Amino acid sequence: MDPLTAAMKVAGSGLEAQSTRLRIVSENIANARSTGDTPGASPYRRKTVTFGAELDHTNNLTTVGVKKVGQDQGKFVEEYDPDSPAADTRGYVKMPNVNVLVEMADMREANRSYEANLQTIKQSRDLINSTIDLLKS
Amino acid sequence: MQPIQLFDLASRQAEWLSVRQQVVAGNIANANTPKFRAKDVTPFEAVLSNQSVGLARTNPSHLSGMDMDTGGVGVEEAPLAQEIGVQESGNTVGLESELTKTGEIQRQYGLNTALVSSFNRMMMMVVGK
Repeated sequence: MDPLTAAMKVAGSGLEAQSTRLRIVSENIANARSTGDTPGASPYRRKTVTFGAELDHTNNLTTVGVKKVGQDQGKFVEEYDPDSPAADTRGYVKMPNVNVLVEMADMREANRSYEANLQTIKQSRDLINSTIDLLKS
Repeated sequence: MQPIQLFDLASRQAEWLSVRQQVVAGNIANANTPKFRAKDVTPFEAVLSNQSVGLARTNPSHLSGMDMDTGGVGVEEAPLAQEIGVQESGNTVGLESELTKTGEIQRQYGLNTALVSSFNRMMMMVVGK
């Protein structure tokens, strides 16, 4: 595989990894207020994404992929809401350990990395095109 | 008569540039991978004088020093590009410096192909076409 096509393939794996990360971020934001439904039940636990470099043995490339989708082991915040079905005997409800500000920052970073990968694909394509243009002149 | 070196030189530079683009793409794709060290290729001067040194593989089960199909262009760990150096996660990729590199590659590649096509035109002029 020639290096320029390989570059596009690598950047494509980056796009895929970053979009998975965006998906996880949106799951976290969507579930920022998802409590349990029985008294004292655990609410939604924040998910985390870990990337890892992967070696593509058929083409000898270092691509990137999602290595692990883990769970944030941080503590749940308790809120006083005695009327909720998830309230324990003291009237407190466990809320998810999702911090929307952190998720927003993560989303911006994923966005930025996605754009960088996209830029790489565009430039590799331009390089290939300028080689092809040699034949046209 | 002296042989015409320019096409050979140009194709070697084009190859070096495309390997560099591949390495930069790998860096950008791994910009958020923990413990990933940014890589770069050896300078073109080293390729010209065939000084690319890689680790010798004395056993087929060894990982090759360069894990990419680079066609004789050496790949090494890049010097730290950003002021903060190594990030909290152990990653050393600076997105801005990598994007600067792709711009550089594109400019040099454009110059390269333009030179080849004008040289080709000059040769065609000699044969009267």
